[in-house]
Amino acid sequence: MAYITGVGLVNVDRHYGKSVRKLAFEASTAALDSSMVESIDFIVVASSLSYLQEPQLDLASYIASSMGFRGVRSIAVESGEASGLAAVMTAKSLVDSGLASRVLVVGVDKLSDNPSWRVYRDLSMLYDSESDAFYTIGLGGVAGLLMRLYMEVYKVDRHTLAYWPALMHSNAKANPYAMLRFAITPEKVLEAPPVAEPLTLLDTFPLGDGAAAIVVEGKARGDAMAEIVAVESSTGYQSVALSDDPLRIESLEVAYGRLVERVDAMDVDVVELHDSFTITGILELEALRLAERGKAAEAVAHGNFSIGGEGPVVNPSGGLKARGHPIGATGVYQVAEVALQLAGEFPGLKVEGARGGLAVSVNAMGSSSYVAYLKAVG
Amino acid sequence: MHRYRLIAYKCKSCGRAHYPPANACPYCGSRDLGEIELPRVGRILSYSIVYTTPFEDKDRSPVVIGLVDLGVARLIAEIVDVKPEDVRIDDRVEAVFRRISVDGDTGLIVYGIKFRPVRTR
Repeated sequence: MAYITGVGLVNVDRHYGKSVRKLAFEASTAALDSSMVESIDFIVVASSLSYLQEPQLDLASYIASSMGFRGVRSIAVESGEASGLAAVMTAKSLVDSGLASRVLVVGVDKLSDNPSWRVYRDLSMLYDSESDAFYTIGLGGVAGLLMRLYMEVYKVDRHTLAYWPALMHSNAKANPYAMLRFAITPEKVLEAPPVAEPLTLLDTFPLGDGAAAIVVEGKARGDAMAEIVAVESSTGYQSVALSDDPLRIESLEVAYGRLVERVDAMDVDVVELHDSFTITGILELEALRLAERGKAAEAVAHGNFSIGGEGPVVNPSGGLKARGHPIGATGVYQVAEVALQLAGEFPGLKVEGARGGLAVSVNAMGSSSYVAYLKAVG
Repeated sequence: MHRYRLIAYKCKSCGRAHYPPANACPYCGSRDLGEIELPRVGRILSYSIVYTTPFEDKDRSPVVIGLVDLGVARLIAEIVDVKPEDVRIDDRVEAVFRRISVDGDTGLIVYGIKFRPVRTR
């Protein structure tokens, strides 16, 4: 059994004055304070781009020691954009196995202290260096061609696909940890500068810095925020070019299938998923069977997945699109946000009475996928 | 040098081809693989016009990236010799040998396969 007993979030933003360690420290101390504990026996650090940008190797031990935890056990997890959820899976395994009783998971990454061309180069490393990333795919080349394929195969127009970013921005307005807290219309999405046509700037996540932390404990506590019931994952194709149907994120379908098999009764009232691009969010809704294939964009345009709409509430935080996506930290943000919802403490859009929720992480367009199911305690 | 000649692997167990050649078949996991040469002509299944390019490629922006179907295998590669606005899904394209990247004045020049439209519109 693994319980979340505390969370700490730094607002995603351009934190020019703060180092990776400072951001990790702020999130961690907030998580420890919220858990009302002072000591931990393991720290799991999730980070991805910071290895290239800081640059710093063995990041977990440096972060631990810089926080005054010299002597603690530490490990770093790097699984690209899915690093955060991979770290949560590691923490759960540590407490489930009895190797640790209290684990601090902290995810951190900084994107804004570098010129954007360098960030684009580093982000293309999330894709397969032997195939797709051999070419100039930039930030969203693969996502762009998948979006065009989606429009072609399912006869969905660009305007329908612009409701997703509009919903994300609308959700983020109330979230004090979100980077982009302003509303946009679908029309604005279409008018924004192109990033990887047909994707525009408003179909992508903002380049921001962030850190998120959770405290995971193996023993039930009356004041625990949520239980991490299960975390599942799967690897996928190295490139969407290998897939018979590139519009299916098969790694997520497999991971979610495994999760469903392992959990007896699943209540999904809230979902925080990985909308690195509009099309990624849409394909994930379909992989999770929250919408029929080819129908998710239409469902979003129709008002589904919003507060009061049909289906579970998806990304009340604003998602990667508007909360932000500090690469390795994102999965930890998502798990923390779902835990806050289940505890009735999320400071933004609240999903009233939520009993269970999912956090979903996907690297690139599905080279690996992770999904966690959390449920309310008591 | 699969990048120079469009060399793929065909799995002797399940019969499927994949590119670039991997250590095992991505479909069935078999390591019993043999080389085949891919057709040099195919069609564009989808494409994107990429503006967010790294510094080295700034002067080439925007770059067209295509998902190209060669029949027995598909791959993602750059589409060249065409105005980005003229590219269409289903366009027939052929493989050409081109420079991929240049590392400064004295560094490595990497070559590889790109695709260009078979007929100009």
